[in-house]
Amino acid sequence: MTTTMQDSRSFAGGVHPPEGKHLTKDRVIEPGPPAKELAILLNQHIGAPAQTTVKKGDAVAAGQQIGECRAFVCASAHSPMAGKVKEVVLLPHAVLGRAMGVIVEAESPTQPTPPEFQRPEGFDPDKYTPEQICDAVRNAGVVGMGGAGFPTSVKIQPDAKTPKETLIVNGCECEPYITCDYRVMLEWTEQLITGVQLVARACGAKSIFIAIEDNKPRAIERMGETLRKLGLSASIRVVPVKTKYPQGGERQLIRAVIEKVVPTGGIPPMIGVVVTNVATAAAIADAVVCNRPLTHRVVTVTGEGIARPGNYYVALGTPVQTLIDHCGGLTPDCAKVILGGPMMGIAIADLSTPIGKTTNAVTALTDRQVGKARRQEHQTACIRCGRCVQACPENLCPTKIAHAVKNHMLDLAQSYFMTACIECGCCSYVCPANIDLTGYIKTGKILLARQKKKMPS
Amino acid sequence: MPQDISVSFAPHIRKPLSTQRIMLDVLIGLAPAVIAAGVYFRIRGLALMAVCVVWCLATEWVCNLVRKKPGSLGDLSAVVTGVILAMSLPPAMPLWACAVGAVFAIAIGKMVFGGLGANIFNPAMVGRAFLTASFGILMTTWTVPATIDPSLPQVGPDNIVDARTQATPLAWSKIAIKDENGAGIYSERLPLWQSLLGEKAGCLGETCSVALLLGGIYLVVRKIIGFHIPLAVLASAFAFAGIAYAVNPDAYVQPFYHLTSGALLLGAFFIATDPVTAPLTVRGQWIFGAIIGGFTMLVRIVGEYPEGFMYAVLLANSVRPLIDRLVRPIPVGGKPNV
Repeated sequence: MTTTMQDSRSFAGGVHPPEGKHLTKDRVIEPGPPAKELAILLNQHIGAPAQTTVKKGDAVAAGQQIGECRAFVCASAHSPMAGKVKEVVLLPHAVLGRAMGVIVEAESPTQPTPPEFQRPEGFDPDKYTPEQICDAVRNAGVVGMGGAGFPTSVKIQPDAKTPKETLIVNGCECEPYITCDYRVMLEWTEQLITGVQLVARACGAKSIFIAIEDNKPRAIERMGETLRKLGLSASIRVVPVKTKYPQGGERQLIRAVIEKVVPTGGIPPMIGVVVTNVATAAAIADAVVCNRPLTHRVVTVTGEGIARPGNYYVALGTPVQTLIDHCGGLTPDCAKVILGGPMMGIAIADLSTPIGKTTNAVTALTDRQVGKARRQEHQTACIRCGRCVQACPENLCPTKIAHAVKNHMLDLAQSYFMTACIECGCCSYVCPANIDLTGYIKTGKILLARQKKKMPS
Repeated sequence: MPQDISVSFAPHIRKPLSTQRIMLDVLIGLAPAVIAAGVYFRIRGLALMAVCVVWCLATEWVCNLVRKKPGSLGDLSAVVTGVILAMSLPPAMPLWACAVGAVFAIAIGKMVFGGLGANIFNPAMVGRAFLTASFGILMTTWTVPATIDPSLPQVGPDNIVDARTQATPLAWSKIAIKDENGAGIYSERLPLWQSLLGEKAGCLGETCSVALLLGGIYLVVRKIIGFHIPLAVLASAFAFAGIAYAVNPDAYVQPFYHLTSGALLLGAFFIATDPVTAPLTVRGQWIFGAIIGGFTMLVRIVGEYPEGFMYAVLLANSVRPLIDRLVRPIPVGGKPNV
């Protein structure tokens, strides 16, 4: 190990961008906009797209499955409301550009309101077998809601070879501006803890941690109180971690909480760890206890470019435009609309893009936040200052990789461990020359995958 | 759509620190030493600096024009080169020679490589090396600071006839090595406070240790430079000087005098830390600094010249790519098994 641990509850590297959470952190979860039409994507996760089970003209009920899994790494899709299938077509997708989806026309548009979750009296997770939990999660189409969208049923399956001994529940929410996880921790605390117990039961984890950044003292307090009330404070520990981006990156979080290192190119289960986001845990409780599929999620609509920021309970498939209109529309100086936060989110041009399972926020930034240089994409020469090297939480050499990619030298880029990059964006954030280091590295990874014929061009 | 929204790769926000701002901070860091130079060498010192800066800017402007590249004067790096070049020249340097040095520094030291970020050697040191090679006598004629009363009897070996010139403290130390009189030479001729404040002969910007330290600390505190390179340079120079002093205190001066003499402080904080010509990684920077400090002392103690900082930087610059290649950061998760 060449890096030194600065703090037992953090990692080396990282950055401190302006938090911007004050805009929405005290806004309770409100019902989202009623929609006449929802456009439900069949690919809201990592893995094979779901296969559609409905056709044009079919009537669908609320919560009915409209896309089913036909592959191992896949997640099903459900209709959030009752209505009629208007069309099965290509829809705008933030990452893929276009992807298949189902447009459901509502019988009568109703405002989505969060259902009450009642934790069963004397709830005992051992009442369920791991298989039951995994099946319920799989049938409900639950995926990692923190951003990556990995199908949860695959993640929480028990593994005989490397037992999943540790469960870390990720309540860091290190990405600036976003507060949906924070609100879930404050408002849906019991539901979330029920979900955590179910995950631990499914994967067989014995040590369970809920990690929360220390800029959210209320969430830490609330979580601790509720655990004490439920008599679980002995088995589930709340761990405050340092407020630093990307503290919520799973590799960084594992390092901070249990001081273990996930091997480069590896995934947490290889060292017996499962990391799951707090919103995902809440969705798991809904799926297993109430048998409710994942059809809605909490979305933070925020940023200086939006008239009325807040946290909303939104039906999946709601177009971004509908949600923005519900929040008073964009301000005239809005420069960017981002699905997710400013560090890792995806800027979209087509506001008809639907909200998906991984869309934790819609962030609208103005020129002031984006910055003149960034807006004009004005890059200057690398002065080799090494700020990117120091900011990199994975201890890589971003400028070397980026410039190798720029010059089409993928072998050289790979000799600097390009594929170990987690794409957190710290290097681009600190670069005084405004070089799109993360962008070059992302491009390089795609080019390399194509070269190895893993990905079609 | 009425809204003018744009798309790009994440991240969508940036730390408000530009290359220009970094260079501006370096200039702010140099300010105390520039003021000290103005105090000690009066209008002469400031004229020298102005000439170097103007010619550096002009050269960069012409080079950009010839290369059909957009103007780059706004990044202020040419101004930094001009000031550092001036700081490293003897105050009595004729202004035309300064201009020649400035043109060479920018044209050959920087622009032929492709401009900012592409040069291998520190441009200011390239300019200075050119002047040393071309005008050896001019480069070793030292004026006494104007604050020292010229009517007072001369201090130091008066081997140069001109009444207002004097050998630098490092030149004395060379004599001390020959005469085996290291311990005595400084305490007799230069009180410690005078050495720190800079009332001694030397290059324009290297005499006032206090001003250099002040500016250097500003840069470290502002995180414009890391502390690693200056610390490595000074520590390794101190160690080598200390070894020499321990071996023969009669011949070699105290290590402390080496730190406050010559270009060591100016170089440690402002020249060796030039990001373009220094290694990327912290480990590499330790090695780089140690090479500079060690080689400087090698020249000072064993070599023929009284001062060796310029050569040390140029040498370290030339091995910098090698250091970067050898000291690659290893990913946190270890090397992948492929």
